[in-house]
Amino acid sequence: MITGTVTSIFGDDINTDDIIPASYLQQSTDRRFFKDYAFEKYDPAFRQRCQQAEANIIVAGANFGCGSSREQAVYAIKENRVVCVIARSYPDIFYRNALNNGLVLITLPDTSSFRLGDELAIDLDAGTVENRSQGTRFTFAMPPEERETFKQGGMIGRVRAHLEEILAARQARR
Amino acid sequence: MGQTMVEKIVSRHVGRPVYAGEKISRLPITKLFFNDVIGPPAIKGFLENFSDLFAKYGLTPQVFDPQRVFFIPDHSVPAFAIAIAEGIKLMQAFAKERGIAMYKEGDGIEHVVLIEDGHIVPWDIVLGTDSHTDTNGALGALAFGVGTTEAMYAMATGHLYDFVVPESIRFELSGALPTGVYAKDLILYLIGTMGAGGCSKRVAEFTGEGVRSLSMDARTTICNMAVEMSARTGIMAYDEVLADYLKDRARWPVEPIASDPDATYARTVHVDLSALEPMVAFPHKPANVTPISQVQEMIARSQREPTPDFCPVEDDTITDAFLGSCTNARYEDLVIGAQVLRGHKVHPDVNLIVIPASRKVYERAMDEGILQVFIKAGANVESSNCGPCFGSHMGVLSSKSKMISTSNRNYKGRMGSPEARIFLASPATVVASAIEGRLADPRKYLT
Repeated sequence: MITGTVTSIFGDDINTDDIIPASYLQQSTDRRFFKDYAFEKYDPAFRQRCQQAEANIIVAGANFGCGSSREQAVYAIKENRVVCVIARSYPDIFYRNALNNGLVLITLPDTSSFRLGDELAIDLDAGTVENRSQGTRFTFAMPPEERETFKQGGMIGRVRAHLEEILAARQARR
Repeated sequence: MGQTMVEKIVSRHVGRPVYAGEKISRLPITKLFFNDVIGPPAIKGFLENFSDLFAKYGLTPQVFDPQRVFFIPDHSVPAFAIAIAEGIKLMQAFAKERGIAMYKEGDGIEHVVLIEDGHIVPWDIVLGTDSHTDTNGALGALAFGVGTTEAMYAMATGHLYDFVVPESIRFELSGALPTGVYAKDLILYLIGTMGAGGCSKRVAEFTGEGVRSLSMDARTTICNMAVEMSARTGIMAYDEVLADYLKDRARWPVEPIASDPDATYARTVHVDLSALEPMVAFPHKPANVTPISQVQEMIARSQREPTPDFCPVEDDTITDAFLGSCTNARYEDLVIGAQVLRGHKVHPDVNLIVIPASRKVYERAMDEGILQVFIKAGANVESSNCGPCFGSHMGVLSSKSKMISTSNRNYKGRMGSPEARIFLASPATVVASAIEGRLADPRKYLT
């Protein structure tokens, strides 16, 4: 069960430049570095709001995370104790970057009922978002493999197993 | 059952017929490239996550196939900060030890040099650590951007995991572009029509007789910006123009590719190229598109109905202009810019920056006297890199700046101050605007 507070509500087409400006990308290869620059130009109060809650949830409209493939956008969000994003849709690159880093993305057809300060509980297995502040409940669909990948924080285990297959096959040929 | 190009390419690489919607657990890739932004963290991730496995088999960590991996420092070069210089040196050392081709700073932009050097061919599956990897789709390849983690995995195993074969949207182009109207105007028009999320999860396939009249430089401009309507990528079929381009250039076997006539598409969009006019995208997103003839109406609308990504624009004046980027700084783009500029001066209030997309473009433009036109007219011509499009050097914008750019993104703060206004347009429109100091129709310079 994922629980958290809605501390940011955004509209449509939030891009990854909005989430982390380019000028910070090459300053560090440590993902924690990006925490302090999240939404630096688009919403400078974002980080402060995230400090008010134990666990933060971002609510957005359609196409959240469009634009640049920079994975630092996912780090910048996640390192600010954001446990989940709820939006109407996500473009592929951002979705895959989030999946690979265990930033849970929930898709709902309408996100307009959420308000700042709402306390939410998300059950990935049941596919439900419960708004405890408003007493409402929503269901979402997520393929089981994606659910497992989100839970495990990525698919490194699978990739390592594949690499080992490749290396073993190469050794057998030698 | 007929297949789209994307379905065909994936089918060939997985060895069985596949169609849109199918999830491919392990998709083999054929080319992989890294820039100076993502190369350093990807190398570190690769070594941290996989070195122990290589050691177990008595091997030093090696990429899946050094012939198919390319390192291209292009975003922040020549390095303007120590951290960047360190990253580039890390890439150089890693590449040299493993026999990976490493381009030099100033050789050019990733989405330009691999194509120029014949490394991208039809049927390729190309991953790059940049969303504008879609550019390479103009060569009949399936090419798209990935993040650090997926690129690092691909570096190790040569595969992408859990790839869902996307549907395609067919853009059926007819007619020919009128004088003063270019590939950039077409793609801006499409982004404006489809919206920033209009092609989400789908591939934009550009087809029809209208494509045949377009050069490779023009085609790459179109595929480059497919991602601005959130397309998975853009793609175009093999034809005589591509065949000519690849002749004596391709370093990999070339085989024709096209979608089957009975392939299934999510939808088809028809566009008559002859009906288009020069387009301008208003701040702060590429989908805020207006024909140049309606700029005043668009300014009025921006004041009347502003939103967080459609900000109020006071007037049509311009302070900065950029002819460059992976979208529009190839040879033909510079020729067009010079054609507009010849016999004029850059407006006294405008800083025009010209950055050829590659060293080869730079040299050819110099040899043919094209760079001289820009320099003599008062432009700043810089060595090849991504320039101010990346927002950290080569013309960072102030809060008062009003930039018109040939690049692909005018997001808030993209090129510097979040208060700056960025407009997107074709090389002709950018140069005409640099001459007049305001958003200008280039067609009067081309008669």
